[in-house]
Formats: sequence, structure tokens, C-alpha cells
Amino acid sequence: MPAPHVVIVGAGSTGAACAHDLALRGLRVTVVERGEFSNATTGRNHCLLHSGGRYAVTDQESAIECIDENLLLRKIMPDALELNDGLFVALTEEDLGFKARFIAGCEACHIPYRELTPAQALAREPLLNPKLLAAVQVPDGVFEPWRFSMAFLATARSNGAVCRSYTEVVELVRQNGSVTGVKVLDRVTGKTDTIGCDLVVNAAGPWAGEVAGFGGIEVPVQPTAGIMVTVGRRMNNMVVNRLDKPSDGDIVVPQRTTSIIGTTSWTVTDPDAIDIPPEHIQKMLHKGIELIPEIATVTTRGVGAAARPLIKRANEDERDVSRTFECFDHKRDGVEGFVSISGGKTTTARGMAEKLGDLVTRKLGLSVACQTRTTQLLSYRLFYA
Amino acid sequence: MPKLHVRVLRQRPDTQARYDHFDVEVPDDANVIDVIEACWRQDQNLMYRHACHHASCGTCAVRVDGKEVLPCIVPLTACKSTDLVIEPLRNFPVVGDLVVDVSAFFQRQAAAGMVITRDAEETIDGHPFQPSELLQSDGKLERRHYNRFENCVECGICLSACPTLSATDGFFGPAGLAAVHRAWEKSTNATERAALLDLADRDGGVWQCHGAYECSEACPQEFDPAEAIMDLRRALIQRKVAALFGGGR
Repeated sequence: MPAPHVVIVGAGSTGAACAHDLALRGLRVTVVERGEFSNATTGRNHCLLHSGGRYAVTDQESAIECIDENLLLRKIMPDALELNDGLFVALTEEDLGFKARFIAGCEACHIPYRELTPAQALAREPLLNPKLLAAVQVPDGVFEPWRFSMAFLATARSNGAVCRSYTEVVELVRQNGSVTGVKVLDRVTGKTDTIGCDLVVNAAGPWAGEVAGFGGIEVPVQPTAGIMVTVGRRMNNMVVNRLDKPSDGDIVVPQRTTSIIGTTSWTVTDPDAIDIPPEHIQKMLHKGIELIPEIATVTTRGVGAAARPLIKRANEDERDVSRTFECFDHKRDGVEGFVSISGGKTTTARGMAEKLGDLVTRKLGLSVACQTRTTQLLSYRLFYA
Repeated sequence: MPKLHVRVLRQRPDTQARYDHFDVEVPDDANVIDVIEACWRQDQNLMYRHACHHASCGTCAVRVDGKEVLPCIVPLTACKSTDLVIEPLRNFPVVGDLVVDVSAFFQRQAAAGMVITRDAEETIDGHPFQPSELLQSDGKLERRHYNRFENCVECGICLSACPTLSATDGFFGPAGLAAVHRAWEKSTNATERAALLDLADRDGGVWQCHGAYECSEACPQEFDPAEAIMDLRRALIQRKVAALFGGGR
């Protein structure tokens, strides 16, 4: 009997990691993405490989997920990571007051850290605001988001997964209360065809609500946009964060020849129509200059925004919504053969896929353990081999 | 909000190429990628590549008014007029509209072996990097140096701009040869260095380049593939001269 066939909708970091997880467990996998792979939420993100420091005080569940995955990805992902650590920098007495809570948070979440004096911090990061009062070093890193997803897809493909870009799901095929496939529109041929399967995984990120809607199901995803402003020169070696609770414009991520200032957070209704408020760009530059004054002297290189697929819970402000993830088995909605995965972060994509893979194999009556913790990923380039 | 008139080259493998016209409005500070997205909102059959919007992924490369660019970092203010012509890269097979097939390109990049992350030779202030002691003291990671991604984003712009590639089949292309050069520069292993020079020396290698320097001119990352090709030629000549006078490799 052939292995069960799973269709994954969406090839951002979540869908790509799920494809890798399930292919490695021996399932037949088809992943469909309506545009270029990883073109939206993952593609246009901060590029921060979280140490968990950012959430060590306010969201320890996410912080622990982040540090665990961070330490693991360092060992298995080639060609897609810059591993230069990060600094949390106190600029005001108020920031300084946050330090003890931050360090307690790092200890509670087993995030390695080291305190630096302002002089030590400036020796490592000469363009930091010289008025800094304290700094704490943590193992943040930087990824190249498109290559991050392509590494998972390259490995999935080498294990037999079929990866189709420019292929948009237009309908969920249902039979007797079960989802039995997807109808897709191939943008190259202009033709629609049906892909039959044993189970559909909805990994469409901020579009997960739309995809679930094809089955008359609600997924509590709240598309929440964030802006990234990239400047024309690399200003820092390490990631530079403000030592405070997460807020607008509190991080400068260096990458390749540039530095990226982020971010803001606002709820959007349509993730395809994100209008960037011009004042957000000014705010990013203003806040970035507080951390690294020389940002005032360089040009802006690019501005982007994408929606995060945060999970909506009652009475939460969008900054307070947990950045952890959830798998939804739509059996609870009376529909078999259909699961959604949402929330989370690019950093935790592998861990998310492990949970999803456990759920999917359980539903399909299989018992195959996850192997992604110890499997070396292929270079993104080998997707095209 | 500037109003733009955009002509986009549309095609599919089995159809005749044609220009479609779009009238779009975008914010004053928009980049050309925002214009392409605005066109896509009017016609979701429009195929284009994009991801990071800050010139790191290299996916969005197209020709705007005949010139290869990464539209994510080209502001409208840098365009000559409010009429734009957007076309796919040259010297690649077209998948559809602005999307080209990068498979053969990445196969060559993989063959060249350039690692995408490099040990940073120096920090932003010109001092050598120190290894990160943080995780080492914690016993969690091995000693290592800071690293960073290569300047080359593998966007394919240099291949599109290359007159040699337009005229000849089988040329390895500027990005691939620049990757060979980076790998050769970086390697300390004599056998590996010799193999990389062999790769540069073969048919389709550095000798096929016409020396037009269009690649370096078009590169959005101020990478210099043409100079890398010339440097490989110099190294190959030196090796040949040395062999001639009995020095061997």
C-alpha cells in the first residue's frame, strides 16, 4: 500500500518545514504555494534568529521555543545563517531598571547571556549610542529568510516531496464530511486540477482563515502587519535590541551589507493590501537612531511589510498576543482530514512542524517518529539540483 | 500619490509575448516592487518573484526600462518618468511573465561551491573579528568566528546584462565565475584551489568573457564579477607560465 498523501497549503517557513518533517517520516507530500516560495510573511520578515531574549520577560513559552530551536538550527542548517549574537542595550534609567527582570527571564528560559560594560559593548559595536548604560549579550542570529525556507524545501524534495509554486488553492474538495483534496489553479498553464489526498495541512499563514473558509471553518488568525526599514550600510556586527519589553522600533538586525530596523505592529483585514503608514517609516528611523546614531547619515534602501499570522485570543492587545503557535485539528469543527497550523515564528518553524507531524501521523494511524532534530538540511541551492 | 502607466511583458510557454498596460497609483516613496504588486492586485495571473524587499533574497530581479534592477530597492523617484516598461531578465528561460527559471543558474552556483556565508574579514570599523566566547563558555557551541553572508545575492542580474551570454551558449556566467573566484580566494587547500582554477579554465570559463564589464556595471550589490574574472585569468596565466618553466602547479 502506498504511503498516505498529504497536501500542504503554503510554502513559507511553516509549510516548508512541515513538508520536510512529513517527507522524512515517509509520507507522500505535495506542497503548493500561490506565488514564489516564501514570498510573504517569511520572506519579508526581520531575519532575526531569535535567542528568545526578546520574549524572556513577557512571553516565556515563546522564549523557550526560540532558544531551543536556535541552538538546534545552528547544527543542521547550512548556508542560511549569520551567527553573530545579539546585544540588549540600556539607554535610559528606565531600561536599566528592566535589566534584572531581563536576566531573570534569560535564566528562567535557559538563554545563555553575558553582561557587558558600556566600554566592552562599544569595543564590539563601535557605532552604538555611546551614552549606553549597560548591555547584555545573547545568542541571537540572523537568517536569510528565502534561503531558510528553501533549505527545508530542498531537503523535502530530495525525500520525494513535490513542491509547486504559482499554484493557488481555490477550493477544498470534500466528501462525506472529510476533506479529500484541493482544487488548484496553476498560474503557468491557467488550468485548474484536483489533487487528491488523505489529509490537507493549512499552513497559509495570515491567509489561513481564507483557506479554512473554503471548508466553512473558522481559524482564529489575526493578520498583524509589521514594517521593516532597511538602510544602505551595515551598521552593526551583532543584532542590537533595546533592553525593554518588545515595542516599536526597538531592534536593528544586521544582514549582509545592510541593517534592518523593525518593527511596528498593527492589525490588518486583508494581508494582500497592506498600506504602509508613512509615519511608521519615520518612527523606525527615529528609534533606530536612538540605538545607532549613525543611521541618521545613511540612505534608506528598502521598506517592506508583511502580516504575521498571530493567534487571536479574547481581550489581548496585538503586542501582547503570544508569538507561540497552535495546531488545529478541524475534527473539532466536524471536518476530518484537515488541520491548520498557525502562529509561531520563522525561528521555530522546525519545532512547529514536529508538533504538526505528530498530529498528522496520529490522525493517519501511523507511528513514525520525527527525525528532523538530527537530520542535516541541504543547502537551498540544491532545491534546483 | 503618483499615477503610473506601466507596460509589463506577459508570456507563457505556449503563448505569444505581449505587453499589458496597467494604470496604478502608489505612494510617493514607493519602490518599483510596489508598482509590480499594484499591477498584480489588478490581475492575479501576473507572475513575478519577490520575497525580502530589501535586496537580500535576490529573487525579484527584472528589467525596468531596459535596465536590470532589483525593483525592491529602486525608488520611483529614480525612474525617468511615470511610464515604466517592466520585462523579465534576459538569458534565462521564461516560466511565465516576469518569472524566469533559475534552476540551471543555481546548479552552476552550487558547482562553483562558493559558500553563502563567509568569515567576515573585518568588522565595520576595520578590526578583525573576535570569536564569540558567549556560547563557548557555556559549553554549548564550538569556538567560531563571526560570519556574514556574501555580498552576492545570486539575483541573476549580471547574467542578464552579459553580452557574452546573449551571443554564446555554455558560458558559465559572471556570478558563477565570481563564485569560483571567491571560493578560490578563500580556500587554503592546494588541490581544491587547483580544481577551482581548472573549472575557470575550461570551455565556457573565463576565456569566453568578452570583457565588456556590463556585469559589474549592473550589479546591485557593488560586487565586481568582471574583475573576479580578470583575476582568475591572471592566476591561470601565472600557472601556465610556471608550468612552462618547470615550476609545475
